[in-house]
Amino acid sequence: MANIPPGGDRRSPIVFDRRRSTMASGHLELLSKMSGHLAVTLNLEETIQKALDLIVRFVNAEGGALFLLEEKFATLVCKASAGPVDIRGIRVKTGEGVVGQCVTENTSRIVRDVQQDANFDHSIDESTGFQTRSILCTPMVVNGQKLGAIELVNKHTDDGLFSDTDLLMLQTLASAAALAINNAHMAEELVEQERFSRELELATEMQRSLLPVTPTDIYPVAGINLPANEMSGDFYDFFELEDGRIYFSLGDVSGKGMDAALLMSKTASLFRCLGKTIHDPNVLLATINRELCETAIHGMFVTMVCGVLDRDTGNVELANAGHEPPLIHTREDTFIALPASAPPLGIMSLHAGDSGIREETFNLDSGTLYIFTDGVTEGCLEDGSRLEQTGFQDIIRERNDLPIAARLEAVVSILSDTGRKRHDDITLLAIRDARTELHRNAGNDGAEIVARHTFPARADALQSVREVVNEACEACGCAPEDATDIIIAVGEACQNVVRHAYQGLDEGDATLEIYCKDGILEFLLRDSARPVDQEKIKPKWPKELGPGGLGICLIHDIMDEVEYLPIQEDQGNLLRMVKYIKRKDSNET
Amino acid sequence: MKHEIVENQGAHIVLFNGEIDLESSPAARKILLKCFDNTGNVIVDLSGVTYIDSSGVASLVEALQAAKKNGSQLSLAAVSEPTRRVLELARLDKVFAIYSSVDEALDNKA
Repeated sequence: MANIPPGGDRRSPIVFDRRRSTMASGHLELLSKMSGHLAVTLNLEETIQKALDLIVRFVNAEGGALFLLEEKFATLVCKASAGPVDIRGIRVKTGEGVVGQCVTENTSRIVRDVQQDANFDHSIDESTGFQTRSILCTPMVVNGQKLGAIELVNKHTDDGLFSDTDLLMLQTLASAAALAINNAHMAEELVEQERFSRELELATEMQRSLLPVTPTDIYPVAGINLPANEMSGDFYDFFELEDGRIYFSLGDVSGKGMDAALLMSKTASLFRCLGKTIHDPNVLLATINRELCETAIHGMFVTMVCGVLDRDTGNVELANAGHEPPLIHTREDTFIALPASAPPLGIMSLHAGDSGIREETFNLDSGTLYIFTDGVTEGCLEDGSRLEQTGFQDIIRERNDLPIAARLEAVVSILSDTGRKRHDDITLLAIRDARTELHRNAGNDGAEIVARHTFPARADALQSVREVVNEACEACGCAPEDATDIIIAVGEACQNVVRHAYQGLDEGDATLEIYCKDGILEFLLRDSARPVDQEKIKPKWPKELGPGGLGICLIHDIMDEVEYLPIQEDQGNLLRMVKYIKRKDSNET
Repeated sequence: MKHEIVENQGAHIVLFNGEIDLESSPAARKILLKCFDNTGNVIVDLSGVTYIDSSGVASLVEALQAAKKNGSQLSLAAVSEPTRRVLELARLDKVFAIYSSVDEALDNKA
């Protein structure tokens, strides 16, 4: 038995020996042949089998096996086998047997005659019926990294014994095989990585599509989510119920990996699906809890807030299961926290009611409700300190004049532009009192809303507006001649939004609200287009009869009060028109 | 908005039905201006117009200007109540020649 380091016998260099030089050129030829064969495939399994078959043929062995290291280099597993007995799948501990020792010691071995070798393990021969006479074995190493070993058995000669020359040949071929295997390995890893990152991309996209889009700047609910990694464990959602109320929710799944993201998707789907029929937020949370508990994932839970906004009254019904307290920013500029009444979802059975998940009812009263995940309050600022609730409140206070979506964006950009790695997802939801502007500016407090109509700012939507106005006039007992005039005036105002505010582009919505009280009809027409130039909309009789100027004259002629109200948000216009109406059932004028 | 054009005693009689608003006024304008491609008077029958807005009125005004340039006459006939109201509000009821019926308009031109 001889131990020879891989790559050749350094003690007996190959020099000017005719026999050896012939052999060396034979090696080179074999090597280039083999490299050519192996270059065509980057598939690992195929490469391994091909390499072994070639080596067995070139060395003229009866059989052979190729072993690769697995289980953190503790085990060698036979991945390819050639010859009369298929031993694929056989496992050998490193350090044991000829192959195991070869790999551990990183040396090649030749067992010229196994009958003379005390180390030889006869058990495999006994189980397969194969008779081993002679063994060649060499480790496969690339860049110092052990891959495994190739073992050949029995030379195809009369005595079946290998020579040192055979071992040299095996060593040469094994290093070529090792390189090929390494390449195939890397190629497979690359493909796998590619596949994974493509799948992750799709999943990220899919998850983002679950988040709702805020229709316009004047919409009373807005949300934002910035995941720390590709996938988020946070979510928010909102949708309108048939009666016009808005259902909203925000949740945070414990953990941050793919499992959290999947549970997030499930919880968000439950909210949207069950929320359509269960209109009490605390009952909804209890129901979602039951679903999550039924298919509990060990150790995972969800903190969640959900609520319903009635935008006509500003009333909010809210339930909180284990989530960081939402804050109401009141019109007096104070903050009120709404702590959770129940533990997170997915842990234990919970009931809706005073002893379980409670429902809080309050009026926004011109204020704004903020719901956010702990990624916000625990988020780091540039100096490394945490934002905390006080920091959050400061940001909101300073930006109270902005649309709610812009306020949330400000919070996110302060937390994400720090140059620090974020560790948690950032998610926020804001719900504002939709009546804020209307009530602040409307002269007739306590007026009843008769109609609200949101329409796309397009010419073909104007007819629907006229129908709404006509119905509202009838509902308010308006005399027919007044109704005709009002339709003309409101029609002109809406036409101006379509033509001028949005510059004739098919984009954006406008909302018309009609209030009525004591014979006074108030119309509030709001768009989110660029503010109109106040000079251009003064009622002056146009020198050239363009329709725009004419329309404004008609509005001023018909309406008793016309004014553009200053609005908080820097975008959009709010036109207020008031008409003192004659009742059709009275003789007063 | 629907429309119909008939020729009678050398005049084009244009009948509009329905609503002439921002959506349909470009079509109304085109129809009216086309009538002035050749000389000849134009009578616009507005009996079937249930609503007209400033863009519709502007089309009528533009047609009136085209008539003047062309040496023809444009008159409005059988003006519906909603249309009359808008013309009144726009103080254009004295600018247009308005007749109670198409026949009356034809008689006056004859």
